[in-house]
Amino acid sequence: MRAALLLSILASPALAGVDEAVDQHLLPGVQSFAEAAEALARTAADDCTAGAVRPALQPVWDAWVAIGDLRIGPTEAGALSIAFWPDERGAGARALKAMIASEDQAGRDPAAFADVSAAARGLPALDLLLGDPDLSGYAAGSYTCDLVRTVATDLAAQAEALSENWTTEAQALTTAGEGSNAAYLSDDEAFRAIYTQILSGLEFTADTRLGRPLGDADRPRPTRAEAWRSGRPLPNALGSVEASVHTAELLAGAPLPKTEAALDQVRRAGAAIRDPSFQDIEDPTARLKVEILQQRIRALLDIVEAEVGSPRGLQPGFNSRDGD
Amino acid sequence: MATRRGFLASLLACTSLPTLGWAEAGSPAFLACAGAQDGSFSLHGLRDDGSEAFRIALPARGHAGCGHPTEALAVAFARRPGAYALAIDCARGTVRARLTPPEGRQFNGHGTFLANGAVLATSEQVADNSDGVIGLWDVEAGFVRMGEVPTGGIGPHDLRRLPGGQVIVANGGIATDPTDRTKLNIDTMRPNLAVLDPLGDGVPEITELGPDLHQASIRHLALRRDGTVAFAMQWEGDPEVIVPLLGLRSPDGAITLAETPEAEARLMKGYAGSVAWAGDESEAAITSPKGGRAHRFDATGRFLAAVTRPEVCGAASLGQGFMFSDGLGGLVAFEDGRARPLALADRAWDNHLVRI
Repeated sequence: MRAALLLSILASPALAGVDEAVDQHLLPGVQSFAEAAEALARTAADDCTAGAVRPALQPVWDAWVAIGDLRIGPTEAGALSIAFWPDERGAGARALKAMIASEDQAGRDPAAFADVSAAARGLPALDLLLGDPDLSGYAAGSYTCDLVRTVATDLAAQAEALSENWTTEAQALTTAGEGSNAAYLSDDEAFRAIYTQILSGLEFTADTRLGRPLGDADRPRPTRAEAWRSGRPLPNALGSVEASVHTAELLAGAPLPKTEAALDQVRRAGAAIRDPSFQDIEDPTARLKVEILQQRIRALLDIVEAEVGSPRGLQPGFNSRDGD
Repeated sequence: MATRRGFLASLLACTSLPTLGWAEAGSPAFLACAGAQDGSFSLHGLRDDGSEAFRIALPARGHAGCGHPTEALAVAFARRPGAYALAIDCARGTVRARLTPPEGRQFNGHGTFLANGAVLATSEQVADNSDGVIGLWDVEAGFVRMGEVPTGGIGPHDLRRLPGGQVIVANGGIATDPTDRTKLNIDTMRPNLAVLDPLGDGVPEITELGPDLHQASIRHLALRRDGTVAFAMQWEGDPEVIVPLLGLRSPDGAITLAETPEAEARLMKGYAGSVAWAGDESEAAITSPKGGRAHRFDATGRFLAAVTRPEVCGAASLGQGFMFSDGLGGLVAFEDGRARPLALADRAWDNHLVRI
């Protein structure tokens, strides 16, 4: 009896971090994203040419990477049509080019556009339309200009819906284990849900955001980097890592000195990279710098596991790892 | 700690007692296998409210079970490639019989009782080439092997008794290495649904889904009272390709494939682990532990909504709706459009929740 009581007392301050992570990171983050997307849509409504819209896209990316890897609740499905990436088959570019070629009416109707393939919507669509030299020279009043306005309006609507749906998810996370909560049956489950997303976000950044353009040692693939036309590969990687660590600190409810030190190494490795778009990585020195950043992020991941997860005995899944 | 042999010997000692009904086993509504953090495994009887009716230790990880229609008798199957099944007296907590497949056969994790419980039918494959067979066991004689009939496909998994007495088998189509779970024929696999009367002529009537779905392994089945079968699939093809994971087979054999909105479809990760009908039979649900969600469809296969729960896999009818079990130990009811927590165990529920 005494042992059980002691455990629960020790456990509560740590688990209180779920409230902090939700109230101080996730909710304000989702709100900022919705505001940035709304500002982008307003900009595009005034002037949909590429030069006018491009600057308003950057703050939307910044706001997105602060929350986009925490794929819990509405973000899980929402992320697929906000930031569908990687698009292994180039489905987004194909769909958008086909829409332009046929002047598909869905490109002028945000409601109809919500039904097009996820790969053709959201931030990757704007990266292509505003950044591809063959597409981005469109004139005001052209179909492509209308399409950009439609993508921006659809993105703002998605961001608004995400923000609204997060109210329900925040309620579920912060009342974990209470009587009628069927989403999180204990405090531990809410903690674990956020923690898992911190780790998978770091893993995604190392393996995919950086790993995909790095390609094979003898064949870098710079145009496989995320939103490279918009200069986002490095800021997205660093922004996501900062968000993961910020969330981890709130969740742990205690300073994480080792994690902080590892984050500092990530920042230094990032500062050494010259081209934020990674378009220079065919040069061996430039490539090496991205590889060093990748190593630093992997090291950070191990330290977060050791400093946040291991003390709480968190283990990988049971049914999700081996099917039948 | 008891050895596995000692465990079985002690339980097998008391096999000649009179049979008892499910009331004597605490009136469970479901059977579920589980794994605990200390590495032990067990079979549980669960009631509608999520409470435990009984718990019996298993020597190794279980997969699914099947309950006898009248006696408090459950058969728990080992995971593939299965070397054993245990017929468990759930009222006494004892092992009535240990079933071992004949030489060169492997249990594939599922079984069902036929002929009012007189015969047990087990899903099996020939170890060498994964050809499917239904093994037939005489229950009253103490689970003596009576014979076997081919299932008309490779790698059979789930099987169910149809209202007319025939059996429907999900021939998953995947040939596996005899010693482990390595898949050998993903490029050429051809799953099917087979309907046959294993106690009659045994000739299977085969339905395939078409060449573009030849890599959709049909693995689990749920039966509606009118004979409509909901079947759940696992996609072995290109993960970027979105395919249906739920199909419906009407009693006349017509197949309907369910469609799902793109984002939700992607989140299932091409994997459905279990399928169930709602208690009122107006909906069917499939679960994806990999995607942490269950999908509900109406009886025509139209997508309704997702229910999210980490590692959710077990699904069965409960009241008008469903009960779901998961790898975090949760039991969640879904009725009247909303989820309701029932219980949280300190163990991981395994893939299936079987309605007795």
